[in-house]
Amino acid sequence: MVSAIFEQIVNGIVSGSVYAIVAVGMTMIFGVLRAINFAHGEYYMLGTFGAWFAIEYFDLPYPVAIVIGVVATAVIAVVVGQFVMQRIVGAPPETGVLATLGIALVLQNTVILVFGGGYKFFSGGYIEPVSIFGFTLAEQRVLIIIVCILVFVGLELMVTYSRMGKAMRAVSQNIECCAVVGIDVPQVALRTFILGACLAALSGVLTAPVNVSVYGGMGEIITFKTLPVIIMGGLGNVRGTFFAAMILGIAESLVATYVGLQFRDTVGFATLMLVLMWRPHGLFSAQARF
Amino acid sequence: MMHKLDRRAFCFAMGLIGLGVGSVDVWAQDATIRLGIVAPMSGPNARYGSFSLRGAQLAIEEINNAGGVVGRKIAINSGDSQGTPVEGVSATRRLIDLDKVDFIIGDVSSSVTLAMQPVAEDAGVLLLNAASSNPKITYAAGVGGFKWTFRNYPTDENRALIVIQYAAEKRGFTKFAVLSVDTDYGRAAVDFTKKYLPGLKGTILTEDYYKEGEVDFRSVLAKIRDSGAQAIIMYGNADTTPIIGRQMIEVGLAGKVPLIGNAEFNTESTIKAAPKALEGAVEAAAWLPAWDAPKSLAFVEKFKAKYRETPNNHAYVHWETVHLLAKAIEAAGSADRAKVRDALSKIKYDSAMGEVTFDDHNQARLPMILLQIENGKPAIKGAYAAEIKYPAK
Amino acid sequence: MSPNDLSLPAPRRDLRLPFGAALAVAACLAPLFLGNYALHAIIIALIFLLPAHGLNLLVGYTGLLSLAQAAFFGIGAYTSGLMAVRFGTPFYLNFLAAGLLAAAIALPLGIPALRLRATSFVMCTLGFVIIGQAIAKNWISLTRGDMGLSGIPKPYFALGPASFTISGTTSFYYLVLVIAVMATLAAYLIVRSAAGRNMVAIRENETLAESVGIPTWRYKLVVFMISAAFAGLGGSVYAHYLTVVSPLTFQMYYSTTMLIIVLGGGAGTISGVVFGSLLFVGLSEALRVAPEVRMIAYGFCLLALVFWFPKGFAPLIDRFWSFLRERK
Repeated sequence: MVSAIFEQIVNGIVSGSVYAIVAVGMTMIFGVLRAINFAHGEYYMLGTFGAWFAIEYFDLPYPVAIVIGVVATAVIAVVVGQFVMQRIVGAPPETGVLATLGIALVLQNTVILVFGGGYKFFSGGYIEPVSIFGFTLAEQRVLIIIVCILVFVGLELMVTYSRMGKAMRAVSQNIECCAVVGIDVPQVALRTFILGACLAALSGVLTAPVNVSVYGGMGEIITFKTLPVIIMGGLGNVRGTFFAAMILGIAESLVATYVGLQFRDTVGFATLMLVLMWRPHGLFSAQARF
Repeated sequence: MMHKLDRRAFCFAMGLIGLGVGSVDVWAQDATIRLGIVAPMSGPNARYGSFSLRGAQLAIEEINNAGGVVGRKIAINSGDSQGTPVEGVSATRRLIDLDKVDFIIGDVSSSVTLAMQPVAEDAGVLLLNAASSNPKITYAAGVGGFKWTFRNYPTDENRALIVIQYAAEKRGFTKFAVLSVDTDYGRAAVDFTKKYLPGLKGTILTEDYYKEGEVDFRSVLAKIRDSGAQAIIMYGNADTTPIIGRQMIEVGLAGKVPLIGNAEFNTESTIKAAPKALEGAVEAAAWLPAWDAPKSLAFVEKFKAKYRETPNNHAYVHWETVHLLAKAIEAAGSADRAKVRDALSKIKYDSAMGEVTFDDHNQARLPMILLQIENGKPAIKGAYAAEIKYPAK
Repeated sequence: MSPNDLSLPAPRRDLRLPFGAALAVAACLAPLFLGNYALHAIIIALIFLLPAHGLNLLVGYTGLLSLAQAAFFGIGAYTSGLMAVRFGTPFYLNFLAAGLLAAAIALPLGIPALRLRATSFVMCTLGFVIIGQAIAKNWISLTRGDMGLSGIPKPYFALGPASFTISGTTSFYYLVLVIAVMATLAAYLIVRSAAGRNMVAIRENETLAESVGIPTWRYKLVVFMISAAFAGLGGSVYAHYLTVVSPLTFQMYYSTTMLIIVLGGGAGTISGVVFGSLLFVGLSEALRVAPEVRMIAYGFCLLALVFWFPKGFAPLIDRFWSFLRERK
């Protein structure tokens, strides 16, 4: 019984890692742009499709495909960022909502138009199970957990120490003051956006081998899974997002086991509401900035 | 100024698009027979709709290359339902009123089909469904009410019976776990299974439904593993089967607890994704790509050559349904809707799987095969004809 | 008027009334020269207008961005559908019940949700939709789960011994038209009342509004309930029009569609929302000309709208009205 619960917690951490990598990009984008990015899951999808394309059409090995997926997404993110996201800086929240909904429609359905709407089969990755502490996990999942930890350590360092990270924090606190002291706000916004999109793509490529099916509309679910995480984590808070993602992953896993899989998707929002009753500004935010 | 011009251009473009709505019926008059296909083509559900449309398009191409039916070619008009009833009805209305189609094939999602039924009925346009499994669709068709709705797709009652019977009698399973998709298809199939379980001395130990698009089954599979179930009853979507297969290997279920039900366990790529998990899987299918009939194999070849992907069940049924319709038009001798409808109810169509006929509820009696995956290949264990018992009114 | 034209003040004719009358006549006569499909598109636009009005009160007047409309739309649709199928009650009862129940459910949901700040509130309302769908799927004894309710009868009215049923597209059009006009009138009255001005005050500066004695909390709650009632009424008409209700009614599709109508049409104006619902349903239908690129084009239209008309079409409509007024 105890080991069963423990196994479910491990399962929760695995899915939590996936949410964490996607959510951290979204939360950083929110911090800088103040926009809920309804298109965030689409970058997850683009990354997966990029890798799938590389493997299927050019027979490239999986590690190369990871790079291609992320780079392809970065290129698209540069275009979207320059033409759309930069203009959202300082605009009312409604603008961000409509614009990102529009982007989501465009990206999702362009992929469907180009590659056909049917589900594809992702071959590649390290799917052989390995045994750790008596549980079996696909190697790929171990990889996901390791990458997740690396990503968060890297981001934590970047946000705290690097010039870019400091600029990001400054922009998320006060746009006008940034402009006064000479921080190039649109540039910071663009870079943050590209970084966030690449993280989503990375998460997509890493999960593709275990999720197998690849299709144009796969991003939407990810967007909706991620939204409660970024709120719970305290918008714009990198560390908080990590813990919120883990909590959600574990909660989902336990609900799927002891209540029923059909309630899994409601867990995120139900947890979110309970958390907000108790702490209206999220779990990890000392005070609400947004 | 430039800014203003842009706005004006934008408004102008909007106006042009608006005009587009009204001007479509200009070219509605010619000699082709108009067939409408309603399917989800954008958004997440496009992964089901795209196969349907491609299957239908392939069939149209074949028919037209062979000279058409009753001397006329068939033209296809597609309508996007996005898998949402309101969009499906809009698409249907447009096909009927603007594109002046005589026949409609659609939709994949049952709720959309149910909403399309009254629209087709009012317009007197033949609605041929080829992918929805909700039993209500044909409970309410034929002698049940809607005269213009036909369905060339099995409902789940027989399928459920065949599978559970085989699993209990031939494989000796008594303890089952349910893991099905959370749609009317998955839920109804499990309900029918439950109806027959007590007679077969079977019990259900755990019951879970996954949402379409779900990717993480580790928790629920671990629960099933610990529950001591002997088989997993799974009525699901084809795209989820490889995911579940792989995760069964991860949690150590593969090779111990087989999947039974229907979710395209038999396709090559699925088996390749998780050979160990799918070994011994039992499935009742209306079609399988590996079915050893020349007509079916030729279809798979053509589809692969044209679209670079293996057709799935939805592609097949739509391909077959278009051919079925063409056959009915031929039997009627004209594309007259009422004559075609009458021809359809009397038709004896020779499909790739065997003979197809319609009962008095306009529900196709479809041949069905029971198969089991043995050594990585589907092995046929029996063929059945699906006959539906309708609830007394 | 040009500056040197000062001699004679030209007789101004206010064209707003004739224009309004022409619009009303056109709306009444529409079935005579429109096909079933165009009528259907207008019916859908008018059905969506109801939740959009509700959302507009919330977003446009009180300044609360909400994604919950789909949840209340679904509640209304299920209420109406269940009553019609199980009890065979006449349409107006189902319709009223749908609105009342949606508002009643909005009360306990609104109390915790409205305590939240901007983005958290948005997410909380999104949660209502997701949880609503799960309930519709799993409370099988009530909702029949995924099988959904089908065969919901066309609206019928029973007053004493007389009863009649709305069956054809044309008569349904008139029914929806009447309902939409009444809803628009209701929204207009709310907005023009003292309460409406207080709502705007809350939108502009909540703290200030509170300090001048407006009970902001109570206002927000009541507006949230009214907005839910509008959505519920829309859901009721929807259920009777499509004859099918399934858990798919609790879909983000509806929330985002309503949001696009309100924000694109012009949040904070009644005419903008009316125009928006006709425009966006029309646009989505018009783009069916090219099924393959339909949603891509729709997405681009949204982007164009955001950057070229950041306030929606409301300023254009305003300009058009003043153009009518000042025309010689």
